[in-house]
Amino acid sequence: MRYAEWCTAAPSLEADIAAAAMGLDDLGHSRVLYGCLKELPDGESVDEGTYTNVRYLDQPWTDWSQFVAANAVLDTAFTLMIESLAGGNVELLRSRLRKMLQEERYHYLHGRSWLREAPARDAVVSAWGEALEWFGPDGGDVDQLKKAGKIALGVPELRRSLEEKLETNAPSAGIAWDRWNPITRRTSEGGIDQGTLDMLQGLAEKRYMPAGGQRVEV
Amino acid sequence: MPFTRVHKNVREYEVFARKARVDSLRQVGSVVAPDDDLARAYARATYDEERWIEMVIVPKESMISLWAPGEDEP
Repeated sequence: MRYAEWCTAAPSLEADIAAAAMGLDDLGHSRVLYGCLKELPDGESVDEGTYTNVRYLDQPWTDWSQFVAANAVLDTAFTLMIESLAGGNVELLRSRLRKMLQEERYHYLHGRSWLREAPARDAVVSAWGEALEWFGPDGGDVDQLKKAGKIALGVPELRRSLEEKLETNAPSAGIAWDRWNPITRRTSEGGIDQGTLDMLQGLAEKRYMPAGGQRVEV
Repeated sequence: MPFTRVHKNVREYEVFARKARVDSLRQVGSVVAPDDDLARAYARATYDEERWIEMVIVPKESMISLWAPGEDEP
């Protein structure tokens, strides 16, 4: 969604198109992941009415450097988590997430190249801290899933892999784990506004329906 | 952070693709990028609307011209 907001504002025509394409990819990935949630053994406990995101996505980005940092750092962190899920012992995830990783490879190439082209220092520090919050604390749920074999990478491996992928060390930023919420996976309150949430859920498009039309669930 | 609409140091890459093994690669377009990785990402984003089984990019400067429009075949 935030990617798509840059589809006419990126520094080149190619970057415009890439922003739109990556936004579409990630919407598709969300649909795949939600589909997996419903099929997993404890999927019935999923509350579809809740939505949460890393703080970095709360507000639209006002500077291309924010896009670059999100693309390079947060998208790569997301990809590493997907790699971890695809490498675990949950067959559904092992088989379902492969295509996602193929597409994410191009997000990574795009983010890494742009990071070389336009180092976005402040934005990278911010995005990296939020990626670490999203991975969670040492010994937390992610490490427990790794211990159970359900995922391939624990928190230390995720952190190290992110550094390797981005060819740099993580910025030194202390995280207030005492304020970390295990549900939202962030230390701060807040989230996206209702209008953006409506667009993500397809509710905002209802106004284009003909009078008396019914929304068709697929 | 100021940006121009185009990178300062860029190369043009020609994009080739095919849909089936029996097909020849054919040029489907071009992209402009500062490095090979970004050119890969741009080519995939721009020309991925069809179900290609193969896509390659070639720096335009690596293509050797034998003759061009308006020139006689030597």
